[in-house]
Amino acid sequence: MAMNYNAKDEVDGGPPCAPGGAAKSRRPDNTAFKQQRLPAWQPILTAGTVLPTFFIIGLIFIPIGIGIFVTSNNIREIEGNVFMYYGLSNFYQNHRRYVKSRDDSQLNGDSSALLNPSKECEPYRRNEDKPIAPCGAIANSMFNDTLELYLIANGSDPTPTPINLKKKGIAWWTDKNVKFRNPPGSGSLEERFKGTTKPVNWVKPVYSLDADDDNNGFINEDFIVWMRTAALPTFRKLYRLIERTDDLHPTLPAGQYILNITYNYPVHSFDGRKRMILSTISWMGGKNPFLGIAYITIGSISFLLGVVLLVINHKYRNSSNTADITI
Amino acid sequence: MDCGRLRTLVRRFCVGEENWVDSRTIYVGHKEPPPGAEAYIPQRYPDNRIVSSKYTFWNFIPKNLFEQFRRIANFYFLIIFLVQLIIDTPTSPVTSGLPLFFVITVTAIKQGYEDWLRHKADSAMNQCPVHFIQHGKLVRKQSRKLRVGDIVMVKEDETFPCDLIFLSSNRADGTCHVTTASLDGESSHKTHYAVQDTKGFHTEEDVDGLHATIECEQPQPDLYKFIGRINVYNDQSDPVVRPLGSENLLLRGATLKNTERIFGVAIYTGMETKMALNYQSKSQKRSAVEKSMNVFLVVYLCILISKALVNTVLKYVWQSQPFRDEPWYNQKTEAERQRNLILRAFTDFLAFMVLFNYIIPVSMYVTVEMQKFLGSYFLTWDEDMFDEETGEGPLVNTSDLNEELGQVEYIFTDKTGTLTENNMEFKECCIEGHVYVPHVICNGQVLPNSSGIDMIDSSPGACSREREELFFRALCLCHTVQVKDDDQVDGPGKSPDSGKSCVYISSSPDEVALVEGVQRLGFTYLRLKDNCMEILNRDNDIERFELLDVLSFDSVRRRMSVIVKSATGEIYLFCKGADSSIFPRVIEGKVDQIRSRVERNAVEGLRTLCVAYKRLVPEEYEGACQLLQAAKVALQDREKKLAEAYEQIEKDLILLGATAVEDRLQEKAADTIEALQKAGIKVWVLTGDKMETAAATCYACKLFRRGTQLLELTTKKIEEQSLHDVLFELSKTVLRCSGSLTRDSFSGLSTDMHDYGLIIDGAALSLIMKPREDGSSSGNYRELFLEICRNCSAVLCCRMAPLQKAQIVKLIKFSKEHPITLAIGDGANDVSMILEAHVGIGVIGKEGRQAARNSDYAIPKFKHLKKMLLVHGHFYYIRIAELVQYFFYKNVCFIFPQFLYQFFCGFSQQTLYDTAYLTLYNISFTSLPILLYSLMEQHVSVDVLRRDPTLYRDIAKNALLRWRVFVYWTFLGVFDALVFFFGAYFMFENTTVTSNGQMFGNWTFGTLVFTVMVFTVTLKLALDTHYWTWINHFVIWGSLLFYVVFSLLWGGIIWPFLSYQRMYYVFIHMLSSGPAWLGIVLLITVSLLPDVLKKVLCRQLWPTATERTQARNQCLSVEQPTVFMLSQTASGLSF
Repeated sequence: MAMNYNAKDEVDGGPPCAPGGAAKSRRPDNTAFKQQRLPAWQPILTAGTVLPTFFIIGLIFIPIGIGIFVTSNNIREIEGNVFMYYGLSNFYQNHRRYVKSRDDSQLNGDSSALLNPSKECEPYRRNEDKPIAPCGAIANSMFNDTLELYLIANGSDPTPTPINLKKKGIAWWTDKNVKFRNPPGSGSLEERFKGTTKPVNWVKPVYSLDADDDNNGFINEDFIVWMRTAALPTFRKLYRLIERTDDLHPTLPAGQYILNITYNYPVHSFDGRKRMILSTISWMGGKNPFLGIAYITIGSISFLLGVVLLVINHKYRNSSNTADITI
Repeated sequence: MDCGRLRTLVRRFCVGEENWVDSRTIYVGHKEPPPGAEAYIPQRYPDNRIVSSKYTFWNFIPKNLFEQFRRIANFYFLIIFLVQLIIDTPTSPVTSGLPLFFVITVTAIKQGYEDWLRHKADSAMNQCPVHFIQHGKLVRKQSRKLRVGDIVMVKEDETFPCDLIFLSSNRADGTCHVTTASLDGESSHKTHYAVQDTKGFHTEEDVDGLHATIECEQPQPDLYKFIGRINVYNDQSDPVVRPLGSENLLLRGATLKNTERIFGVAIYTGMETKMALNYQSKSQKRSAVEKSMNVFLVVYLCILISKALVNTVLKYVWQSQPFRDEPWYNQKTEAERQRNLILRAFTDFLAFMVLFNYIIPVSMYVTVEMQKFLGSYFLTWDEDMFDEETGEGPLVNTSDLNEELGQVEYIFTDKTGTLTENNMEFKECCIEGHVYVPHVICNGQVLPNSSGIDMIDSSPGACSREREELFFRALCLCHTVQVKDDDQVDGPGKSPDSGKSCVYISSSPDEVALVEGVQRLGFTYLRLKDNCMEILNRDNDIERFELLDVLSFDSVRRRMSVIVKSATGEIYLFCKGADSSIFPRVIEGKVDQIRSRVERNAVEGLRTLCVAYKRLVPEEYEGACQLLQAAKVALQDREKKLAEAYEQIEKDLILLGATAVEDRLQEKAADTIEALQKAGIKVWVLTGDKMETAAATCYACKLFRRGTQLLELTTKKIEEQSLHDVLFELSKTVLRCSGSLTRDSFSGLSTDMHDYGLIIDGAALSLIMKPREDGSSSGNYRELFLEICRNCSAVLCCRMAPLQKAQIVKLIKFSKEHPITLAIGDGANDVSMILEAHVGIGVIGKEGRQAARNSDYAIPKFKHLKKMLLVHGHFYYIRIAELVQYFFYKNVCFIFPQFLYQFFCGFSQQTLYDTAYLTLYNISFTSLPILLYSLMEQHVSVDVLRRDPTLYRDIAKNALLRWRVFVYWTFLGVFDALVFFFGAYFMFENTTVTSNGQMFGNWTFGTLVFTVMVFTVTLKLALDTHYWTWINHFVIWGSLLFYVVFSLLWGGIIWPFLSYQRMYYVFIHMLSSGPAWLGIVLLITVSLLPDVLKKVLCRQLWPTATERTQARNQCLSVEQPTVFMLSQTASGLSF
């Protein structure tokens, strides 16, 4: 644009053009857009307009917050479905090297990726010259403790009855049915995984994770859950569902329970902790007072600000007018 | 001469180039000179090809890329991209490569297209046919094949193909008319003269027989300067040497008019023509906003580097325990393990840099460029700035300075043609003390032409009758006006009676006014024919005067003369010029009477000229002739020698009288100046005119008011006292009042109580500017002078040379406060100050288009300056200020959560957002609303801005880009980022947020943060928008909708070309959870709350003038009577 010269000018400018004809075309159009006069709404944030907003926010947020808070606090009671979680702390599932150490194509059943996993899986890509399925650090470090829950019936019967823990329904439906797929083929799962080897840390190969074929291989739900990397180093993952059998009895009646842990998973080396959490779920998920408290706080602050503004508005209205006069 | 030769030698020796000599020699028609002549070094000249294009087909890509990556920002992004390619970084190279590629490609396409247009224009130029003379015949060739020395024939209305020396025309007097509209925009016809000895060559054969060489200087860009000489060889005698000047030179680009055909010889061709030499790009001006933007960039670069450094250090501290560096579940590869620690740390540092690099977004540059480019259209589209009379609208020559229009603190304006109309009208003349007023309106009726002379003082005696007629003759003869031949039928043979309808053309409107005025007084100038000026006197007789010489006008001498020979054989010299340049050279005449009249007229704002004459005896004339001839032939220092010659000839004059010409003020000039002063802008008038005239104009346009106390710093005053004393005295006066002023201004009263106006003239200025010998206190006067100026509300500088105008601008520009200056002018003499000032504005006026061409913006009238600054400038400034601040803000919001996340992912450079989000955040999710805002925003309406100029003060001194504001925006960004991140953190911490108990992973976490962020930054802009047109609604809600639709789509499909599917259904799952919705609403509210609160409180407690106006307009309908009363009070107090 800074170039002063344009050869075009010279060609055009050669014969002086008739001013009359040129003048008409040069005249700018009288359109609202070009004259910057489009009809417009011109709001201004003044105390007067903002005041009601603050009050409305306060009036809406505080009840919501109380609602959430109450819901969240009610979750303790073991009614309805109970969800069993395991928790790990100080476990960096969100480490970059870890997060990318997977091959989504392989997990989606791509046969070429099965035998030739992505480079991102290094150093868990091949073992003894065989491709690892599933490859990568995430799969390799899958949580493999088994948790079993027993109820000790009241006094009379000392033999613990095992609680039925449901393995299915813990992973996202889309993950289980679309994103994760076993390699194609007609034979048994073992045949379909032929030519691959199990991850180094695994005891069993991927095709024998579960007896149920619908929960075996890459579509094993424990595996899928593990593969969804957690956002923070302290996290919990859904382990089992305890479904309510009938409406009359609570899912987990009061009593003594035994938690039997088959301890496979080492956490000491990285200063980690394991937890098991039993929780019911409301419409808004597990127990978390944060949202409720936040809503109440913000609602109250907003209400308070509304009051302050009201005072200021009232007090300064006159003085601002007098200031106008002194100009 | 010696010096020149020495230089030539040195140059030849050093450069080793044979053809670098000071002058060139051209063999006309490629004929070798006769053997006796001096031998010349043969030189090689370029052909006549014009190359304005920058690139060729082959070098386009490398050259264009090189040009683009020379920009520091592009280079920075290239480096980031390369780092991403080379080392293992958290984000894929696509995220920065794609935007960069986009920017580079768009720019390249734009530049390529422009260059293609240039190529096309070039080849059209280079291929257009030209008529050559070859062996006595006319040959048609393409223009590019023209060589130096070729003889060319040009027909009427054709443009000259190269710079030509004018040999002959079909006119007997050897003249031709030329317009230089495409060179300097002047559409008036200019007369050029053929070389005396060749003007008789009318046919091809004649011209072909010419045997001559031309010596001239090497090409130089000054359009109006040319020095050369021609040696014409005749068979019998020594060569005839003739001087060549710019009047013999026909420039490429000019058009032949009113002349059937001419012959010329090519002397400069192709890229050496004066036109091509003038195609250098102007020096780049940068606006204050751009400068602060660059400062902010450096700040952000520092933030970026320190973030990366902090993270790198923390990473290695944190990793010092091996179980953290390499826990059993997350082993490194062998290659990683073996890498050198320093190298690893460096790579980590680079990786962090890459991770955070979005804090300096590529798209900001694109958006700023687009905003400026598109925004400038609003200026050209403005109907209010379109001038019906001339059919001209404003022109934008550079869009880089749009926002600078809102920052102007000093305006330097030319007077003639800028403040005034430059529409001259002959008012009166004073001959020997008697005043004549032509065409006077007497008692309400216009006196008829013939008797239009009204003697105000007394009727002239018989003896003065002669003087009177001499005076009129002088006015009729002493000028360079041309008569436009109305029709082509009988141009030369026009009957003298039709002379009344003559249209006069001149580069100076004063001359036209004078000639027309004299016409009304009975003497009509008819034409210049065969070197004879014909005038029609009162008795309707034609008088003929042979024009012997013209001592043309220049701004240093400030006068011009003609030497004519009357029919009776008497030789007269008529001289006309400014009073100051005539009076000292007068030896006879009623000097005192005329001087008093001149001064009276000047006070009334009229432009005065004095006329004098002298009778030359033939001997005197011979002497003068020789002097002139010697000066004209000189190859070196011709200007100086000519000036000396003029000086010698124009002396011992007899004063005849004076003329007064009125130059009316431009429409609304006073109103405009008043508004600009109210806006806090200091207006200085810089003019070449004399003090009294200029001061009168200043009063007329309300620059000085009745209450203004004038301080004079003029030569006259300095003659009485020393400069030192005058300056100190003035500063004492001014400072005493400014001391009391501060007390007054504290109480909020306006500064009209002590209003000082300074008048300074050119001579005094050059004394102040002159560095003094004793180095100790040099510059002291300047400081003192600036101090005085600062305390004056208006300054008038008169008797300024063009360069002095630029000097003043420079002086103010580089003074302590570094104020933003604007220079406005219409003539060639204003170009230097237009180029010097921060913003240069040209008035598309009568004195040609040179100012308009060299300006940054051009407007048809001075009054348009008001809307340009107060409305457009204001808008441009607030728009771009918000654009810059908002861009940094939204990228702090974008990147700071990323930084915080590092503390929770083991400083592993894990990204929080998906690659698609990283890439598209700046390109599509948040780009359009701000671009549209920066094009459409009107915080107050156009009318209010125009009505209330004081609002301009609200944005003075780059108010919206001060550090305080910048820090506020940055902290707002940090606060919002903290809210996004920790809000999401506490929601996700250790719990589930779905109703089916399933857990979300890190990508959902990032998506939640991202969603809140996109909504927050867009809504923040919505809160800042004061002008909601349907387009704003469309773009703001549309881009939010686009984000949602995109996210649904992006996560809705297993994308086959992606190696990862981490976003699959993440967004949809997030939306299926109630707490996520609640969280999003909560976090957006929390992020916006402080900004809203700040806005409301500031508006309530410390409102700016703009905010008051906004509020006033809001409640206008409710409290109309009050407001009306208020505005009355306000206007009452400001006077």
